[in-house]
Amino acid sequence: MLTIKNLHASIEEDGTEILKGLDLTVNAGEVHAIMGPNGSGKSTLASVLAGREDYEVTEGSIDFDGEDLLEMETDERAREGLFLAFQYPVELPGVSMSNFLKQAVNSVREHRGEEPLSAGDFLKLMKEKAALVHLDPSLKTRSVNEGFSGGEKKRNEIFQLAMLDPKLAILDETDSGLDIDALRIVADGVNDLRGEDRAFVVITHYQRLLDYIVPDFVHVLVDGKIVMSGGKELALELEEKGYDWIKADTGQAV
Amino acid sequence: MQIEQKLLNEINARLERQDANGGNGWASTRRLAAGAFKDMGLPTRRSEAYKYTPVAKRFTDNLSLENEAGTVQATRALEQLDGIHLSTTNGLLDSVPAHLPSGLTISSLVDAYQGNRVFVNDHLSRAFVAERDAFSSLAAAAAEDGILIHVAANTAVDQTIVIHHDNVSSSGLVQPRLLVVADKGASVQIIEHFGHAGASSAFENRIAEMMVADGGSIDHVLIFERSEEATFVNGLHVYQEGSSHYATNTITLGGGMVRNNLHFLPDGEECETHLNGLYIARGSQHIDNHTFVDHAKPNCESNELFKGIVADTATGVFNGKILVRQDSQKINAYQSSKSILLDRSASIYAKPELEIYADDVRCSHGATTGELDEDALFYLRARGIPAEKARLLLLEAFARDVVDLIKEGSVRDYLYARLHAILEAHAS
Repeated sequence: MLTIKNLHASIEEDGTEILKGLDLTVNAGEVHAIMGPNGSGKSTLASVLAGREDYEVTEGSIDFDGEDLLEMETDERAREGLFLAFQYPVELPGVSMSNFLKQAVNSVREHRGEEPLSAGDFLKLMKEKAALVHLDPSLKTRSVNEGFSGGEKKRNEIFQLAMLDPKLAILDETDSGLDIDALRIVADGVNDLRGEDRAFVVITHYQRLLDYIVPDFVHVLVDGKIVMSGGKELALELEEKGYDWIKADTGQAV
Repeated sequence: MQIEQKLLNEINARLERQDANGGNGWASTRRLAAGAFKDMGLPTRRSEAYKYTPVAKRFTDNLSLENEAGTVQATRALEQLDGIHLSTTNGLLDSVPAHLPSGLTISSLVDAYQGNRVFVNDHLSRAFVAERDAFSSLAAAAAEDGILIHVAANTAVDQTIVIHHDNVSSSGLVQPRLLVVADKGASVQIIEHFGHAGASSAFENRIAEMMVADGGSIDHVLIFERSEEATFVNGLHVYQEGSSHYATNTITLGGGMVRNNLHFLPDGEECETHLNGLYIARGSQHIDNHTFVDHAKPNCESNELFKGIVADTATGVFNGKILVRQDSQKINAYQSSKSILLDRSASIYAKPELEIYADDVRCSHGATTGELDEDALFYLRARGIPAEKARLLLLEAFARDVVDLIKEGSVRDYLYARLHAILEAHAS
C-alpha cells in the first residue's frame, strides 16, 4: 500500500535536511509503529506524507497504492485515502463540525464516484462514528476544535478518521497530552477501525500507546533514517533501555 | 468656481425659492448647516481623517443638486421578512404606511417639523456636531426632506421596520435626512437596504440621526449593495441617554467609494453600545469605516467588531476612535478589527485610536491584517476538501462572524447567501 524508498526531505525555508534516506513498506491490514527520540524526523515524515508545503522532498520516492504520492496535492492525497491525525489539530472558528465534515465526506465520496450523502444518512453516520470515540453528537454545531479540550481534539481526529474511511491512517503523536482514560478511548476507537483493507502508521515517542494499539511492526527512527525494525517486543525493549541503547547497537548518533 | 461655493449657491437658491413660496421653517435648520459647511469646506487629502479616502474628489462638476435625471430601481431583497416595509426614492418615503402599531409614527421629516417644531428641533443634532462633519453638514443643508421614525415611550415595536432604499437617481447628488427617536423605554429594530441599482452613479450623502432615550433600545442594520459606480457617505450619529441600548451592524458589500462615518455619544450612565461592521471590497472598490465612540459618561460599555475582506485592487480603511473622558470611570470599551487581504494589489489601512483620560477603565483593542491562515487551509485540505472550497469555507466563516450578530434570522440567511456568492468568485 505504501512504499517509501530512500526518502530525503528538507525544511523548505532553510534547506536543513531532516529525512536522510528513509525506507518503509506498509501493507494493507498492517499496523506499523514509528518510534524515535525528539528531533529524529517522526513528525516530518507525517508532514511529508500529508503534503505539507514547509518540506521539500529532494530525493527518493513514495508509492501509494500504485500511484506517485509526491505528485498529488494534499487534498488529492486525502481523497485517495490517506489520512493524517494531527499532533496539533487546528481550530477553525466559525466553521461548524457538520459543515466541515459534510464537505470532507462528500469530497471523498465524489472522488470515489459515489453520490453525496443525504442529510439524514449524514447525521446517522456522524452519530455512529462519534460514539466510537465517545464524542457528544451535539458537537456538530460547534466550530471545529474551537474550545475543545486536548482530549476532545485528539478524539475528534479519530472521529474524522472514522468518517472518512481512509486506506492509510497516519497518527502523529496522537497520544501526546492524553491522560490514561482518554488514551484508552482513542486506542479503542483505532482498534475498532483496524481491518484487512486499512493500514496504520502510528508515530509515537513513548511505548505507552502501543500497549493499547498493538503494532505488527516497530521501527526506530534516528537522525532521519530507520535504523532498526522488529516486532512489538522492540517497543518494550526501547522502553526499558532507552534510545541511547540504539546508539551503542547501531553506531548511530542519537 | 470652487465646488463648495457651487453647492452652497445651489442650496441658497433653493432656499430662497422656498421662502418666496411661503417657506416652511425647515429652511432655518438647513441654513445653520449650510453655514457650518461653508466654514469647513470639503475635506482634502491633507486632512488626517480623509487621508486614505479622497471622497471629495467624487464631487465633479456634473454633480449637481438640480438633478433632473431619472431614477433607477434597485434590486429588492428581504421582502419575506415579517415587518413594516417602507420604500424610498432618493431617501424620501414613497408613501406612509396606513396602519402602524400604536406608539409608532413614521412620517416625512418636514411634515413632522410643521406639526411639532419643538419635538423635531429637540431631537435633531443631538449627537451630530455640524462644525465637525462637513459631509453631514452638507447633507443637512441640502436635505429638502427626510424621514422621521418615532417610537413613543414604553412601546416595544415587535415588527422590524425595513427601509428599502429602492429608487435612486441615476446620477447626481442625493442628500436625505433620517431621524429615529426611541423615547423612554421604547424599543425598535430598523433594517436599511440599499440594493444594487444598476448603472446609477449617484453620490448618496446622507445624514442619519438616532436617539435612544432612557432605557430605550434601537437595533440597526444597514446593508449597502449599490454598484461600483455609486458613492456613499453614510453619516450616522447616535445619541444615547442612560441605561439605553444601541446596536448597529453596517454591512458594506457594494459601492465604488463608501465612507461610513459612525458616531456614538453614550451620554448617560449604564449605556450599552454595539458597533459591528463587515465589508467586502473587490474590483476597484474603496470602503472606509470611520467609527468614533465618545464615552462622555461613566459606567458604560461599548463593543466594536469590524471585519473586512479586500481583493483585487480594492482598498479597505478602518479607523476606530474611542474617547473616554476624564470623569467617565468604569468604562468597558472593546474594539477589534480584522481584515484579510486576498491579493497583493489590494490594500488595507487600519488604525485604532484610543484616547483615555479616566483612570479606572477597561479598554482593549486588537487589529489584525493578514492572509488566510495557512494552517487552517492545510487542515481542511488534509481532509480532502479542494483548495478553492477550503478557502471559501474559511472566508465565509470569517465574514459570518459579524453577520451572526444580527438578530433577524432571515437577514442573516440573506447575507449568508450573498457572502457565498460574492466570496465564491474570490476563493479560486
